[in-house]
Amino acid sequence: MTHSVLLIPDFALQSLRRREPRTVGKAVAISHGDGRKARILQFSPEARGIEVGLAVTLAMARCPGLKILPRDLDAENESTRILVAVALTLSPRVEISGDGYCTIDLQGADAKHTETRMHACIGELAAAGFSARAGAGESTLLAYYAAQRTERVLVIRDNADFLAQLPLGFATPTRSQTEVLTGWGITTLGGLTNLPKAEIAQRLGTAGVQLWERAAGESNRVLRLVEPVKTFEAKWEYDPPVESMEPLLFRLRRFAECVALELRAAGMVADKLSLVLRLEDETEHRREFRLPEPTGQVDGWMRVLQAHLDTVRTEARVLGVCLTANPARPPEKQDSLFDTGLRDPAAFWENLARLGAVVGDNCVGTPGVADTWRPDSITLEKPAETIPQPADDPIHPRRGLTLRRFRPQWCARVRLEEDRPIFVESDEFTGSIRDAHGPFHFSGMWWQPEEAWHAEVWQVETDNGAIYQIARTRDDWSVEGVLD
Amino acid sequence: MPSPPSTVAALRSLLAARFPERNRRSTGVVATGVLAIDRALGGGLPAGRLTELVSAAPSTGGQTVMAQLLRTTRTARQRIALIDAANGFVPDEVPSDALRHLVWVRAHNSPEAFAAADILARDGNYAVIVFDLRGLSERTLMKTPSGLWHRLRHAVESRPSAFLVQSTTPLVPAVTWRLVLNRPVPLSSRRTAKTDLANAMSVEVARGQIEFEEQSA
Repeated sequence: MTHSVLLIPDFALQSLRRREPRTVGKAVAISHGDGRKARILQFSPEARGIEVGLAVTLAMARCPGLKILPRDLDAENESTRILVAVALTLSPRVEISGDGYCTIDLQGADAKHTETRMHACIGELAAAGFSARAGAGESTLLAYYAAQRTERVLVIRDNADFLAQLPLGFATPTRSQTEVLTGWGITTLGGLTNLPKAEIAQRLGTAGVQLWERAAGESNRVLRLVEPVKTFEAKWEYDPPVESMEPLLFRLRRFAECVALELRAAGMVADKLSLVLRLEDETEHRREFRLPEPTGQVDGWMRVLQAHLDTVRTEARVLGVCLTANPARPPEKQDSLFDTGLRDPAAFWENLARLGAVVGDNCVGTPGVADTWRPDSITLEKPAETIPQPADDPIHPRRGLTLRRFRPQWCARVRLEEDRPIFVESDEFTGSIRDAHGPFHFSGMWWQPEEAWHAEVWQVETDNGAIYQIARTRDDWSVEGVLD
Repeated sequence: MPSPPSTVAALRSLLAARFPERNRRSTGVVATGVLAIDRALGGGLPAGRLTELVSAAPSTGGQTVMAQLLRTTRTARQRIALIDAANGFVPDEVPSDALRHLVWVRAHNSPEAFAAADILARDGNYAVIVFDLRGLSERTLMKTPSGLWHRLRHAVESRPSAFLVQSTTPLVPAVTWRLVLNRPVPLSSRRTAKTDLANAMSVEVARGQIEFEEQSA
């Protein structure tokens, strides 16, 4: 096989139903044209008694309760993006041949692997909400016939056998050609191709030869290949604007699926997502999400996006949304034998992202100590996936109780006697000091007057036995924390 | 109507059959490195259970327990999470190597802290989750609906993590273990190594008992 076709039958209807799930299971028809000229283009199996090409008024008369909807070109474009993204996983040479119809050049591909992959493509399209078919053969036309003939996947092994079963209608003969051929007793493509091509040319002329070639599946046209996607982005507008998050999340998921498929087709995953909500008051809500682990899984993306959107309150209704995924190479790693890794890495990174959405991305991580003597200088880093071997115990062990800081510090008034604190008064506590240890002087950045800092720190024990750390910066005293 | 069980053993089996989650035994313990606590708990913090450590007064050693727990879990290469409701943890107070297995969540208020606890309790990647509520006002904490605690307890019961709540007053309803630190450490102990301080601590068991293997009646 050299070509394959991915086909979504009733493309306009399937695209619309994917966007409007309320229409599923109901009698729905897609109309084409305006006013009295409007005709039925496609209709759902629930719509009884109507046919393609029927006038809309007549269709409504024949099928009471029939809902007539116009084509939704936005939905069809979105579906085409998904179809192309899935097709690109078969081969990089893909053509959009029609509505819901992609032709793929398979030259050089391993046949066995390709057939398995075609099944996977149909599964991926089903997951995206489409009932699709795939066919493969020696030409674009044969592949198309195969896709039309099957309910799922069909690879043509023997052309003659396959064509012998196909009705003549597959080659789209004109009415007069059909009458002539039926008169000759020919009802299948195989029957027509059994006749010598030259004889057909003599009797039916050039049009007859073209029909014979179509019936034989002969096609040597050059595919007009699609350009691979370079930006992984989905944008849409709401009319009317939305007020609640439910419709937003529903469409966000659908577009995220589309972007994820395009990323996968490019062999990439996302390491960063960017979400922009365009609001009715002409402002924008922008947020960037750095994914803890690069991934192409929509569920992982949605958990991060949903956790954020659950906390968002906008001043105005949402007019439009733009979701962009930053492409990155899939992570590759090989753990060493004695690494203490994660039981469930996906849950770990997803939960970190959810925590980031709750408390802020800069408030979750593994703490580190900044390269300065300035008290309370902290850095937060991305947690390690594996816990390394512990270092040897420090030569000088830490001593005394452990400080727990008050953030922000408590303002205090401190009474001194012979330069030692003897009484502390603050809004939170007041008491005499029975023991004090200090002072410890810390300073830094003295060479830059604007950033210079200095602190005089004391550890004091109050009458009730509590030990606090107090500090004086310039002339202000504060209680920095409790030694606990 | 079925007849009531005639022996204690029969009653136990009936309860175990009716409430399998409640009667599931803890699957292991995580040593804290504080002698008195590990002794009281039968080896350490029980996995799949809530343990409450109440610091009844300032400077009774609650934060030193945290520092010691970080050191012990680091040695055992176990992952630990700290939900810091009042944002009081000081990384400089422990050696930087003892922080490499820690995920620190700096919450800004009580609802954020409970939301974070709910997420982490269901994670399953942590050996210990410390939920430090010290520093939040008692009034705010008393308003916490008991349903939140029950939800947390149920989440923890089905996971392999030990869950330690640090508070200044008893908060957790139906907690498995409640230990109380009520003896302040004097300032004169500032030259004593943290490990020695931790080993010298005493705790009062206010609630809970060690789970023994079921005995036949």
